[in-house]
Amino acid sequence: MSRYNIYAFSLVFVLGVALASGQERMMKDDLGYTHTWGVPPQRIVSLAPNITEILFALGLEEEIVGVTRYCNYPNQAKTKGKIGGMVDPDLEKIISLQPDLIIAFRGNPLRLIHRLKDLQLPVFVFEQGTALESVFSLIMKIGLITHRENPAAALVDSLRKDYERIQACLANVKHIPRVYVNIHGKGLWTCGKDSFLNDLVVKAKGLNIAAEIPRSWLAYNREEIIHQNPEFIIVVTRSQKDFSEIKEWIIRESHLESVLAVKKESIHFLNEDFVTRSGPRIFMALEQLSRILHPNSFRDCQ
Amino acid sequence: MNFQKKRLQLLSILLLLLVAGLYLSMIKGSVETSFTDLVDFLIHSDQTHAKIFIHLRLSRALLAFLVGASLSLSGVILQGYFQNPIAGPFVVGVSSGASFGAVLALFLGLNLSLLGFSAQSLFAFGSGFAIVSLVYLLSQRKGVFKVETLLLTGIAAGALASSLTSFLIFFKSESFEQAIFWLLGSFQLADWNQIRVVFFYLLFCFFLSQWFAKDMNLLVLGDETAQSLGCPVNRIRRIYLAVSTLLAASAVSVSGIIGFVGLIVPHWVRILIGPDHRFLFFYSSLVGGIFLMFCDLLARTILPGSELPIGIITAIVGAPFFIYLLNQQR
Repeated sequence: MSRYNIYAFSLVFVLGVALASGQERMMKDDLGYTHTWGVPPQRIVSLAPNITEILFALGLEEEIVGVTRYCNYPNQAKTKGKIGGMVDPDLEKIISLQPDLIIAFRGNPLRLIHRLKDLQLPVFVFEQGTALESVFSLIMKIGLITHRENPAAALVDSLRKDYERIQACLANVKHIPRVYVNIHGKGLWTCGKDSFLNDLVVKAKGLNIAAEIPRSWLAYNREEIIHQNPEFIIVVTRSQKDFSEIKEWIIRESHLESVLAVKKESIHFLNEDFVTRSGPRIFMALEQLSRILHPNSFRDCQ
Repeated sequence: MNFQKKRLQLLSILLLLLVAGLYLSMIKGSVETSFTDLVDFLIHSDQTHAKIFIHLRLSRALLAFLVGASLSLSGVILQGYFQNPIAGPFVVGVSSGASFGAVLALFLGLNLSLLGFSAQSLFAFGSGFAIVSLVYLLSQRKGVFKVETLLLTGIAAGALASSLTSFLIFFKSESFEQAIFWLLGSFQLADWNQIRVVFFYLLFCFFLSQWFAKDMNLLVLGDETAQSLGCPVNRIRRIYLAVSTLLAASAVSVSGIIGFVGLIVPHWVRILIGPDHRFLFFYSSLVGGIFLMFCDLLARTILPGSELPIGIITAIVGAPFFIYLLNQQR
């Protein structure tokens, strides 16, 4: 099944690729701009951490010349030229790197992308999906524009196997626990229906208590948390150390004593870098979260 | 006579500063370039350097200059208009109003344009005017025109516009970081189109202000005196209100809200060359432009590898000076 899916994917993209003349490739990005190129890109700038992770996973270490200051994975990414942040990249720096491909992601402001276009820089834009599966098509498309179709197909294949394995383990789950996801440190910030993180909770067979709200990020109402009484609290943060502090804060100072998850100290850590980036590591996060929510389901399951 | 000599001195210093500012803006940046690189580029231009020198650095410096000039000119006009030294585009609510319009257009995702002006600048003009008209009407009840009411209404209306802006930003919370740059101003994405628009408005508004500069001098003496000296007070007031709004709105629509420029620059210039509006308009524009150009230079070089919103710098420079000034006057 998985292989067929990949072939189907590939077919769609190959159809999207019009062979204008000889080796020339043509493809539209998610903002509708058409890109034409002949040779594989030699100098790639990534404008988002998830893109950087995918590029490295496709073996493009040599070709990457610039990444954002947030790109910290894999380790080699830290040695690459820094072009600033996702919202405030340094245009001079980008130009000086003389890239033949800039990959942007829609965490980058639209105005910025238009500016890069105005400067006639070869920027290719990807839209952020709201479902985990959008990572597959993202990887395939990046594979296509960087001439790494085979590694991309192999990566998607292995990620999809992981994904299906986790799904199989969760197949018999009967009880869907209520989950409150805490983001942005101390303070009751959470994710709504439109976020990638919400889909992660859904796919791990949990019920995000803020899933009714049609937004990505929001400050949640304390009373509402008490009323919904979540069985799990998931703290999304950068490090184990931050997690300990936030957990302490939730238990001692957040006035959520009456909540089930707080009573049972069912407060767990998820690495922010894994779950907020739609990159290959999202499925590791899915497995972690699934194991937290449904430990029994993984007993007889690899 | 004394002021005439001072004006000439000031003009030569300002021209020197302008040239120095432009030169530094061209040389300084995250990519290291030297004078020889610049000369090299001017002789045989290459693509990479053309983009960095002309399309990034020069365009940015020029836009900062034009916005600084617009804000300062708007400030001079408003201070004369209200006969009050604490008036400025921000105080009267114009900046906040314009900012609300621009953010609204941004979040509605409007991509239309009319006569070459983006939805963002059109909305900025619209809501800037709306706020100012509201303030103007409210403070002019029963035919009496009260400056205190005007300023206070301006502050209230400005606060309303700011909170509506914050509401929009909060609601569309995906663009938080983007919003910060909007609220504190930035020239990060300066381009030639913006320069064209702001330049056009500045030129138009400058000549219009200059044309009525003598009337503005009378206006400062108080409405009754001005009227008795033959100044058509009501018409002049309407013109200047429109001009100052137009200036502030065009500045805000390209750069976001940049505080303190419109407030402090006119003070500096008045100290230096005296209160005659026939010269204040020109010198304030020039000083404001140069000031903001240097502020932007700091904003993009002070932290290597990242941008600082320029509003932070103008406030750090501007606020203490303003407090000092108030203290001196007491």
